[in-house]
Amino acid sequence: MIQRDPAEEPPPLAASWGRLYSAVACYLAALIALFWLFTRTYSR
Amino acid sequence: MRPLDWWVLGASLVFIVAYGLWKSRRNATVNEYLLAGKTMPWYAMALSIMATQASAITFISTTGQAYIDGMRFVQFYFGLPLAMILLCVTAVPIFHRANVYTAYEYLETRFDAKTRLLVSIVFLISRGLAVGVALYAPAIVLTVIFGWPDSWTTALMGTLVVAYTTLGGVKAVTWTDFQQMLIMFVGLFVALGMAIAKLPDDVGLGGALSIAGAAGRLNAVVTRFDWNDQYNIWNGLFGGMFLMLAYFGTDQSQVQRYLTGKSVAQSRLSLLFNAVAKVPMQFFILLIGAMVFVFYTFERPPVSFNPSQEAKISAAAVEEYDRLFRERREAARGLLAGAVPPEGLREANRRLETFRRDAGAANDANYVFLTFVTQQLPAGAVGLIMAAIFAAAMSTISAEINSLATVSVVDVYRRFVKPGATDRHYLNASRAATVFWGLYAIATAGFGRNLDSLIVAVNKLGSYFYGGLLGVFILAFYFPRTGGTAAFLAVLAGEAAIFAAAWFTGVSFLWYNVIGAVVVVVTGAALARLFEKPA
Repeated sequence: MIQRDPAEEPPPLAASWGRLYSAVACYLAALIALFWLFTRTYSR
Repeated sequence: MRPLDWWVLGASLVFIVAYGLWKSRRNATVNEYLLAGKTMPWYAMALSIMATQASAITFISTTGQAYIDGMRFVQFYFGLPLAMILLCVTAVPIFHRANVYTAYEYLETRFDAKTRLLVSIVFLISRGLAVGVALYAPAIVLTVIFGWPDSWTTALMGTLVVAYTTLGGVKAVTWTDFQQMLIMFVGLFVALGMAIAKLPDDVGLGGALSIAGAAGRLNAVVTRFDWNDQYNIWNGLFGGMFLMLAYFGTDQSQVQRYLTGKSVAQSRLSLLFNAVAKVPMQFFILLIGAMVFVFYTFERPPVSFNPSQEAKISAAAVEEYDRLFRERREAARGLLAGAVPPEGLREANRRLETFRRDAGAANDANYVFLTFVTQQLPAGAVGLIMAAIFAAAMSTISAEINSLATVSVVDVYRRFVKPGATDRHYLNASRAATVFWGLYAIATAGFGRNLDSLIVAVNKLGSYFYGGLLGVFILAFYFPRTGGTAAFLAVLAGEAAIFAAAWFTGVSFLWYNVIGAVVVVVTGAALARLFEKPA
């Protein structure tokens, strides 16, 4: 059902929407790792 | 509140409402009134989406949640960025191409009229139940500050929101949301800064983090899996992702925000902004609660933060409470000096908390932050944080009333009651529906009084319905063989499964969304063979 529009407007921050989505997913992974470190450091 | 606080609060509210009305002064058609003529830039939608989700409950209840239970609530939002990516790929381009006013209007083009009506009714019930609770949260603020009856405050706040939402439509909602979110950001930074600044000189930020961590208040990531535990990383990532998919993808109060976008790209950017900013924002809100906990480790807190409960505590109980408070304070000082292990502070804190509970001081999470703000912060800062709380409340309520009115008119009235009337007629009907839902919210706000943590109550309430809504949209997007009757029956089956899970099992509410969506999809796919889609 999902069709890709060939005339789709590109994102302003990356070469493609796919790359922008990957960057957001990596950012989430980094954030969780940071919070895990925070928890480990202070919750003894 | 001192005169300066009143000035800051009053000026902020007047400016926000005036700005929203000025930006929305030309609403000649239904399209302009409900979709802003599809002219909104991404940054306005982004902050409107964020402001709609961040209600007064976010400030009042989330900080209290961290004070009582620690920061593990942040994991609830881990699924949000993943949900935003999926929505950018699926819902945003589909809704834009379909050129619809509501998400449910799309369901008729994909399935049939009865499925559209059923899902619209499910939305009206679920959002209608939540709008009163959202309006009740700021009433707590005024009750704590002035002791005013909450019925007065809900009527006051409700009237103000209904006025600008009715006059300005979605443009007024979006532009006031934009300003309200900016005030919330400032309020958050001031609150966190003040919570740290109010700590004793010899404690400092490092010491405060050590104390909060030892008392179990910095548990931002819990890796142990438990079906029945609401907040661990797995429930947050998977259960949270389903909840956020349903909320941002099928709840008209959010869908309407990004349907106003100039283009698919602008709508996508608004969602991705939230994907990046929302989790850190929740982390900082929870950190405020953890710092307030440390502050009250050294400054004696009331036995209960709820003034009505506090008044009932006996003198003997207060005496014992004072002893337990001093014991915890000494344990905290001992921890900083290296003389007491973390377990010592944990044990002292546990004794104090058990005593509070036994003394009838439970259910006061919603009052912690307000007590701290009103009793500890300087003039001006109190007004600013109050303005942030009121801004948060108004942004959520206005979006909810606006979306309830839109669905009532577009999906029910225009489709089934009075089709074919003039644009002017539907514009007036939209305004009348906005007033109706505003009055309804004011009338039902009192139900919030009996709820423990409002933030949990609102999310739990949504989870009873979101799984069914999400499931039917997954069917619509990915199961082309499923027709209207199969989808209709699948939604009913999904809702039945959610209520059965809630009543007969102890599964955490975050999983209701997964259960509901899976049952709808499996049932819809299975019934597709039985009820063949007409060629």
